[in-house]
Amino acid sequence: MPWMNRVSAERIKYEFKDVEVEYTEHTTNLHVKKEKLIDLLNFLKNKEGYRHFIDFFCIDFPDKKERFQGVYILYNPDENERVIVKTWAKDGKLPSVEKLWACAKWAEREAYDMFGVEFEGHENLRRMFMWEGYEYFPLRKDFPLQGFPEVELPSLTEVMHGRTDPPSHDYELLHTKIATLEDLERTEKARLRKKAQLVLNWGPLHPGTHGTIWFLFDLDGENIVQCDVILGQLHRGMEKIAENLHYFQFLPYTDRMDYISAICNELAYVNAVEKLLGVEVPEKAKYIRTMFAELQRINSHLLWLGTGALDLGALTVFLYAFREREKIMDIIEGNAGYRLTSAFLRIGGVHYDLAEGTLDVVKAFIKDFPERLKEYHQLLTRNRIWLRRTKDVGIITREDVFNYGLTGPVARGSGVPYDIRKLEPYAAYDEVDFDVPVGEVGDVYDRYLVRMEEMVQSLRIIEQCVSKLEKLPKSAPYINKEHPAVMAPKEEVFKDLEDMVKNFRIVVHGENAPPGEVYASGENPRGELGFYIYSTGGSKPYRLRIRSGALYNLSIFPKLIEGRTIADAIALLGSLDPVVGETDR
Amino acid sequence: MSEVLINLLVTLIKVFVVLGVFLGVGAYLTWFERKLAGHIQGRLGPKLVGPFGLLQPLADGLKLLTKESVIPDRADKVVYYLAVVLALAPAIMLFSVIPFGPSFSLFGVEIKPIVADVNIAVLLVFAFGSLLVYGTIFSGWASNSKYAFIGSLRKAAVIIGYEVVLGFSVLGVILLAGTMSTTGIVQAQIERGVWFIVYQPVAFILYLFCMLAESGRVPFDIQEAEAELVTGYHVEYGGMRFGVFPLAEWYLNVMALSAIAVVLFLGGWSGPNIFGPLSPYLWFLIKMFGLVFFVLWLHWTLPRFQAKDITEIGWKIMLPLAILNVVITAFVYYFI
Repeated sequence: MPWMNRVSAERIKYEFKDVEVEYTEHTTNLHVKKEKLIDLLNFLKNKEGYRHFIDFFCIDFPDKKERFQGVYILYNPDENERVIVKTWAKDGKLPSVEKLWACAKWAEREAYDMFGVEFEGHENLRRMFMWEGYEYFPLRKDFPLQGFPEVELPSLTEVMHGRTDPPSHDYELLHTKIATLEDLERTEKARLRKKAQLVLNWGPLHPGTHGTIWFLFDLDGENIVQCDVILGQLHRGMEKIAENLHYFQFLPYTDRMDYISAICNELAYVNAVEKLLGVEVPEKAKYIRTMFAELQRINSHLLWLGTGALDLGALTVFLYAFREREKIMDIIEGNAGYRLTSAFLRIGGVHYDLAEGTLDVVKAFIKDFPERLKEYHQLLTRNRIWLRRTKDVGIITREDVFNYGLTGPVARGSGVPYDIRKLEPYAAYDEVDFDVPVGEVGDVYDRYLVRMEEMVQSLRIIEQCVSKLEKLPKSAPYINKEHPAVMAPKEEVFKDLEDMVKNFRIVVHGENAPPGEVYASGENPRGELGFYIYSTGGSKPYRLRIRSGALYNLSIFPKLIEGRTIADAIALLGSLDPVVGETDR
Repeated sequence: MSEVLINLLVTLIKVFVVLGVFLGVGAYLTWFERKLAGHIQGRLGPKLVGPFGLLQPLADGLKLLTKESVIPDRADKVVYYLAVVLALAPAIMLFSVIPFGPSFSLFGVEIKPIVADVNIAVLLVFAFGSLLVYGTIFSGWASNSKYAFIGSLRKAAVIIGYEVVLGFSVLGVILLAGTMSTTGIVQAQIERGVWFIVYQPVAFILYLFCMLAESGRVPFDIQEAEAELVTGYHVEYGGMRFGVFPLAEWYLNVMALSAIAVVLFLGGWSGPNIFGPLSPYLWFLIKMFGLVFFVLWLHWTLPRFQAKDITEIGWKIMLPLAILNVVITAFVYYFI
């Protein structure tokens, strides 16, 4: 995807005298003063067509006077261009842009939670992932990776039998803080002011929420008057972890974000890092990546289909979907060695060459799968109960797609053809032929149809990848080991001294990345998964921001559910399809 | 021996036979359902405990009985236990008015294979069906849990709506038979040589819907709705106290209502005499389990409605249809 063109940049420079335009290797940045920020964003949104909110986050520079830099990434759907707007906070404060883009509410809350930056004019500036009363801001540079061990948490043995000397087993006595029940109660109270009859705690552990999300429903009878979401039960501080790891070391962590589409996550991450490091990927690796990413997409959509139908009471579709998932899992396991968190991709290629017979199995799967799809359609698509539950439920308008930063099937269900695979092709997506299905109305049913059709398109892509891979010679390289930042495959390390030395160097010292910044994203089954890497040189990113599609897709949920019933809530949540590993990171 | 004593003895025996058979069958219906669900879903179902997993219900029962009893804090204990009884009792009582075959004589005593051959049997069916709602409401109220409470209210709304439809759908049959006694209705069908389903197809379909709604089966299982209400009104029950609710609602109630449907619409025990002296009973059971199978089959195929849709369909579509059906039946029957 190209970045803002020079003509628009000049126009903005003319309009706003003190805006600095910076063209870096991978991005175009606009630097603006805090006072002018809202005006500039307003201009970008309404005049220049940068309507689609992609991301907002902060970067901490403890040495600078203002310390915190706010970064906005916006997208222009007409010109297919992105732009980054940067501004410095004053006295730890930034203006809130929730009036312009509603989803900025959540992004700003996250920045407040992680950096302590306050936003003027925010309707309810609460912590996003941590609980109320937590006193630190974890993503600040002065917060140590391991946290502050200050609370003594006795083990169960100690509670029962008292502390012994020597201790009953070997463990750290002091731990970082954890939320107490009072903390959680305070968190809950802070989110929702009760208006109606009763507040239903839907979650954190509830079969309908597909993970550990905590919904608060203020109910009037069965109607939801207002709703808020408490996230953070799965918050692991991925971004903090990434700042303390070499680039290649962070790869397995991406698996654990959206754990249902691990390979797609890896692909998005590897894509960003390769851009930063300037690594070329061999053709074979590109096709293997594409094929597996699409298999993973089908896998993920099948899980969505199964659980979505299960939520609406169709118990059998669930097992039918899992039957096919199993086959994909087997293919992935046969190649990567793992089923779920596969860590299959590598910077510069893939971990292993294709296992023997993989293509035959994939071909058999391609042949068989359309029949299965027909089966799902038979069970659901024209089923009157299914239609009644999904039609006209949770309609998302086109404006809301932009305002809430929605991406992926949720955006396409509302008729916005936003698909990174087409707009900014990565891997081999520019060489394969596929269509982008879009919906018309933007209700749950449309999103259902879009996802069903996406599986068909994925199948088409896989088919083309297979025929391409069959033509490539067996000896073709699957990893670009010539590049100094790419580790050589394991087999060669034990035979070749130079490879061994190189691997040793990378493992110990990490890749040597040039200073700069890069934003690259991948089209995940749950929307755009973007990685923004700010590098000051060296082997670790200074800041790695993960733009989660699932989080932004979820941000529209409280709006859509207002005035509807609990039964609609699960239909709606199923159609937004968040995965908590990714929303919380 | 006096007449009264013999009657008492016979009735007692009948009660024990019905209780034993249907509680046992109810338990084994869980096995059947799991097996059926397994085969519908392309898996095997229970197969490890005993041959074909036949001992699975016993194992489940043992497990439920030996489970720790946990009662939620600040629950209303009396009502909490009362709800269990109120859920199970009406479901069993429904079997008391079902005639399983023609009367026969044994040792000079005429025996009717029905526990209570009363002339208001159909009315009793409605009464017991309505009593079921108390079990639900009480369990939801006494559990001191929001999920249970919402689930029980949903169920109450459904039962109230569908009781009315059920009553009107059956009225047509009563008009045709001219009696409310279940035995009488079967006799009327045998005398005419026609099952009432031929005269009352609309009523039969309405009855099937009501049956699904009353027994909380898909597509009307909103009070359980695992995904939204984590099984609804009995979420706070554990052990056998929990086991009683599905047993009463999903199995006993489905069986009883199927049996009544057989009596009302499918000619009761009538059928060609091909199984010898046991023929009427076997016919009855075949028809009844055919309907039970139909219910289970739906359960594992369809998605579920939402609460407001169910009540809407009940009040706005089914009730007018049922009333229309009754009026037309009355006119036709009176003039022709």
